[in-house]
Amino acid sequence: MEVRVLQERLAKALNIVSRVAASTRAALPVLSNILIRAENNKLVLTATNLELATVDYLSAKVQKEGTITVPAKLLAEFVSNLPKGVDVEIVTKDNKLTVKAGQYRSVMNGIIADDFPELPQIDEKKAVMFKVGVEDFKGAITEVVVASSNDTTRPALTGVYFNTYEGALYIASTDGYRLAERRFIEKVVSEVFTIVPTTSLQEVLRSITDDVEEIEILFDDTQVRFRLGEIEITSRIIDGNFPDYRQLIPKKTDVVVDLSKEEFMRMTKMAALFARESGGSVVCETKKIDKQFLISAVASELGENTSYIEAVVSEDGKVVLNSRFLMDALNAISEENLSFGFSGKLSPVVIRNAKNKDYTHIIMPLKS
Amino acid sequence: MQSEWQGVLDEVRRSVSEMAYGTYFSTSRLISMKDGQVVIGVPSVFIKTQMERKYNDVIKKSLSGAGMSYKSLEFIVGAGERRTIRRGVEVLPSTETMTVRPKLERSVANNETGLNAKYRFDNYVVGDNNNLAVSAAHAVVEKPGVRYNPYFIYGGPGVGKTHLVQAIGNEIVARNPNMRVLYTTIEQFYHEFVETMRKNLSGFTDKYRKVDVLIIDDFQFITGKEKSQIEFFHTFNELHQKNKQIIVSSDRLPMQIADVDARLSSRLMGGVPIDIQMPDFEVRCAILKSKAELMGAEIEESAIEYLAENVKTNIRELEGQLQRLMAFAEMRGVSPSEIINDGYLDNEQYRKTKAMSPKQVIDRVAKFYDLTSKDLLSTSRMAQIKTPRQIAMYLMNEELGLSTVRIGREFDKDHTTIMHGIKKIKTDMKMDFHLRQQLAALREKLYA
Repeated sequence: MEVRVLQERLAKALNIVSRVAASTRAALPVLSNILIRAENNKLVLTATNLELATVDYLSAKVQKEGTITVPAKLLAEFVSNLPKGVDVEIVTKDNKLTVKAGQYRSVMNGIIADDFPELPQIDEKKAVMFKVGVEDFKGAITEVVVASSNDTTRPALTGVYFNTYEGALYIASTDGYRLAERRFIEKVVSEVFTIVPTTSLQEVLRSITDDVEEIEILFDDTQVRFRLGEIEITSRIIDGNFPDYRQLIPKKTDVVVDLSKEEFMRMTKMAALFARESGGSVVCETKKIDKQFLISAVASELGENTSYIEAVVSEDGKVVLNSRFLMDALNAISEENLSFGFSGKLSPVVIRNAKNKDYTHIIMPLKS
Repeated sequence: MQSEWQGVLDEVRRSVSEMAYGTYFSTSRLISMKDGQVVIGVPSVFIKTQMERKYNDVIKKSLSGAGMSYKSLEFIVGAGERRTIRRGVEVLPSTETMTVRPKLERSVANNETGLNAKYRFDNYVVGDNNNLAVSAAHAVVEKPGVRYNPYFIYGGPGVGKTHLVQAIGNEIVARNPNMRVLYTTIEQFYHEFVETMRKNLSGFTDKYRKVDVLIIDDFQFITGKEKSQIEFFHTFNELHQKNKQIIVSSDRLPMQIADVDARLSSRLMGGVPIDIQMPDFEVRCAILKSKAELMGAEIEESAIEYLAENVKTNIRELEGQLQRLMAFAEMRGVSPSEIINDGYLDNEQYRKTKAMSPKQVIDRVAKFYDLTSKDLLSTSRMAQIKTPRQIAMYLMNEELGLSTVRIGREFDKDHTTIMHGIKKIKTDMKMDFHLRQQLAALREKLYA
């Protein structure tokens, strides 16, 4: 192999790709390596942990084609320390990779490419593909992953459920105590019912670079692939049934309050300070006659806190919530105005963005 | 089977490195082995790819080494290949479509008969409320067009009319594949008819008049569709003359439906009209059990009883509440009865009736009959006041769970009077469809 590529481009690509390989749980040494393939004027960098794989198709001047694998971290860190703007020259000989740039030169011992796992193919003729703008993608995924679980004994809850319903694509996740759902893409024809690991989606979010405008998502029955510019991330999907969650979203609630997110957040944060003793539980209360929405918390040792905001309230009511869940929800929601609804002490609490109404966050109340 | 597979894995271990074994093979399972067709399950698509591309020969060799014969070797992800996508036309026009995995498959109606295969006799729960209708239905299946022609059933919303008429259709098709069965709602009939008129199409008459069994659902929506009614009348006559079976469901008797022609009404009453009522507690339990079984859900007896006790409106609602409960249990990862004990199912509906005061019940009953609360609380014995008063007593007892003594205090009457009133309604209800209908409507008003 003989390739020349610009340092900045190579460093950026290696930074993204090597993150996947860096996982220490790799039982197979070759998994902590990065596969480098030079062909058709592309330098293709691949890393995988067998849960997901990241591939970067980097434009480069290829003088001689070839493949090799070398330790991902070592290569990434060496290249990132090179001065910016230099041309990096990569040459292989006898399972050794030589990287040269000006007066800097490294020789790395590699492992032959044959030992590197082959990546699954995706048949584009049979796969389902969606395209989504990068900002929409980031916003929607961020809003939903917050409710995802990391309890591996219930694998289906450790992912985000992509599902089509009444001609639109929705994404949802839940950890059993809360649930977040977002209408992701309007008007789709294909159907998808797939749980994508949350960790994979977080990796996709991290790998989005400034030059990416649109993300393509391809599903087949066993995998999902995200295309972001020159990068392709392929992930396994989770084998399991996601709860029939639509049943859990109350169609309407007795009490509905329209609130500003900022104000709501401030009140919650203050109450949370006094809620540490009680495991984070804060009381949300509505008073119709006083036109007030109140949040309070009591700590027997510290003292207590009550804040209120004027709001149009449909009915009197009271519900106890975990302040951490409430703050997570408020952090995730992207609109400034939201509606907060609940019925009684134990029915699920519903938080929605007031304008678009395409995001629903549900929190199970605490028993007081 | 797994011990045999362990033998194969031991062979594999001899020919690959320990680390490769740990990474790729240790999580594999033998899913099935029939007639030499070996199916191996692996946890992810990545491992599957390695198995297929790199280790195929190793596994084949190891299978032979462990003394197992094989013809073909297949790797699948998870416990079984799931169909998680169905491709629509938005990507690239293509004739290839993937089948959706069975669980997701929305039961779709058969194009030719309009019947939905999920409605069968074996999943229809028979009880006091519907046994007459069901035995007549069996008679229709035995000899279509001979007895009970037309077969006319009526009853409130969500008591299982559609299920029953479709089950008849499905059973007839199963027994006599050559019989032409057609299921349609009156709405569909109407829309097709209008379309035919508007676009001057043909085929409408043939479609409906050349069948052996015609099933018309939701007949009550015929109201105000004069031309369709005439068309249906003629269709009816022609089929009936040819001894073809006609099956009609409706939420009330033909003469109770506004602007149904007397001639059509009498034709429809020609068979024996049979009503289906809301099932009682035991039947509701049986229905819930059968639905739970269908969902493949595990649910405790106590949870079933709780639902059956609390949902009295109709079966659709019952099913909805069951689904909701199961979804909760699935999400929380606990059993259905724990969800109930925790009070999470305590939704608006249950709360509101329980929280409703006797005065409110009297108020709503009075309003329903265009009376005032004062009328109901009076001592008047006029029938148009007496019956609503007794209905109010009955509802207070049934829905609010109040004792007769307590109800007596509301009406300033002795508790024996209340007992008599409740009993009167209970007895009349059995005979009087009209009364049952009013009660169903009133219940819905109470819950709304």
